[in-house]
Amino acid sequence: MIQIIQVLILGLALGGVYALMSSGMTLIFGVMRIVNLAHAAFIIMAAYISFWLFKLWHVDPIVSMAVTMPVMFLVGVLYYKVMFASRADNPRFTDITVLVTFASALVIEGVLSYLFTGIYRSTNPIYATKPFLVGPFFVPQSQVYATAISITLIISLWLFLRYTRVGNAIRATMQNRNSAQVVGVNVAWVSMLSFGIGLAMTGAAGSLLSFIFTFFPSKHVAWIGMLMSLVVLGGMGSLMGAMLSSFLLAVIAAYVSFYWGPTWAPITFYLALFLILLFRPQGLLGKKMDG
Amino acid sequence: MGTLVIENIVAGYGSGPNILRGLSLTVEAGKTYCIIGPNGAGKSTLIKVIAGMLKPREGRIIYKGELLNGLRADQVLQRGVCYVPSDRSLFPDMTVKENLRMGGYILRNSRLVEKRIEEIFAQFPILKEKSSQMAKNLSGGQQQLASIARAMVLKPELIMLDEPSLGLAPKVVQQIFGTIATLRDQGLTIVLVEQNARKGLENADQGVVLDLGTNSFERPAVEVLHDPRIQELYLGKRRQPLQTENTQ
Repeated sequence: MIQIIQVLILGLALGGVYALMSSGMTLIFGVMRIVNLAHAAFIIMAAYISFWLFKLWHVDPIVSMAVTMPVMFLVGVLYYKVMFASRADNPRFTDITVLVTFASALVIEGVLSYLFTGIYRSTNPIYATKPFLVGPFFVPQSQVYATAISITLIISLWLFLRYTRVGNAIRATMQNRNSAQVVGVNVAWVSMLSFGIGLAMTGAAGSLLSFIFTFFPSKHVAWIGMLMSLVVLGGMGSLMGAMLSSFLLAVIAAYVSFYWGPTWAPITFYLALFLILLFRPQGLLGKKMDG
Repeated sequence: MGTLVIENIVAGYGSGPNILRGLSLTVEAGKTYCIIGPNGAGKSTLIKVIAGMLKPREGRIIYKGELLNGLRADQVLQRGVCYVPSDRSLFPDMTVKENLRMGGYILRNSRLVEKRIEEIFAQFPILKEKSSQMAKNLSGGQQQLASIARAMVLKPELIMLDEPSLGLAPKVVQQIFGTIATLRDQGLTIVLVEQNARKGLENADQGVVLDLGTNSFERPAVEVLHDPRIQELYLGKRRQPLQTENTQ
């Protein structure tokens, strides 16, 4: 029994980080219908920023979020302007984004490998290896911090979308791009901003990931499959859906890993992707799409 | 005077053919214009071009002496020209009230927007009743009403309605035209695109007939309504009996 609860705790402790990683991706898809296959590559990029800040100047990775988030925001704004802004009216925009972001992911991987080699990296602040011991249970401090920060960020994002003027404009654009334009939302600007916010989330995710996992340039390949399944399971474009599916799959993967060994954990995500596409293609909290 | 002048507009979608081919039209302030014409004549395209949703390839649009073409949709809106699309495109997962608030998005003054919403609620009690319902749960007629109301939040001087009666039950169509009549009484300039040519013309001052992307014909609405050619083409009166393919 203790073991079963212990595994549940470990799963939940990871869920928040997964949720943070997928939140940006689902936002980007929701607003612009961009399938961002470079999302995980951007996360790794941010993780490297945190890594070097830690290695060179001993900047705590949680503190370095103050750097990675704005930097990745700017990267996002720039990337959107260069790659997508002029194509937004193309009827096959979403198809284009799949190819463009896939290519971008490979380029990012290549550049990172060239600059930093393929050595496994991670930051190791003091809390990285220390657990909290709660009764008989063992909870890694790093994961608790990472998940707590992730949830705080996601809730902040949700409140921003729900209660601010710009947030409402973003939601309106997600729900009906044409109408958003009709009521005077500058959708080109909203799209650029949303891409920036989505990538700011990868900035935060990269910093947090740097002390809970090891990473290397080609690690994004493993992550993107998992992110895709989280985003699709939640319902593409649904923030709450991504959060729900992240915790759900993180916990299931933790059990799979415990009973069948960690090699089998990734299969949880792919199997979930497979099943959801078969039985509920719009995702848990997503909407059926027309056309 | 708030006159809208459209001069030799040429427009089309993407790299496709020209839909509008040198269309000119003058919309005088305070009047209601009903635009009719066959499918593909460019009725909706014309409205989209005026609203800034589609850039014209050639020509000029002048409103109150100011050039509108080249402006973005939000900039056209700032100048008092509102557009209600044909698909009743509310924001489905926002409440009726949130939808109305989005209508006042460009005002940047939430107190003013709330005041306007209260005025709208007073005018359309059904919207007040449904104010906290998600827009997607409204009936078709209520959605149409809400999307007209959403445009009214800006108190526009000129409102363009694209097929407001599309897909609505006859009784509801009656209500929507009742609403349009109210707007007329308030002195708004209205540009109405209608498939239901008879209803549209009955509620308009001027009738404009588009054909193949040009303005082929513009007369007072009553005259258009009684023009035999128009009656034959758009109003369902035929000189010859209908073909008898279904009547065996």
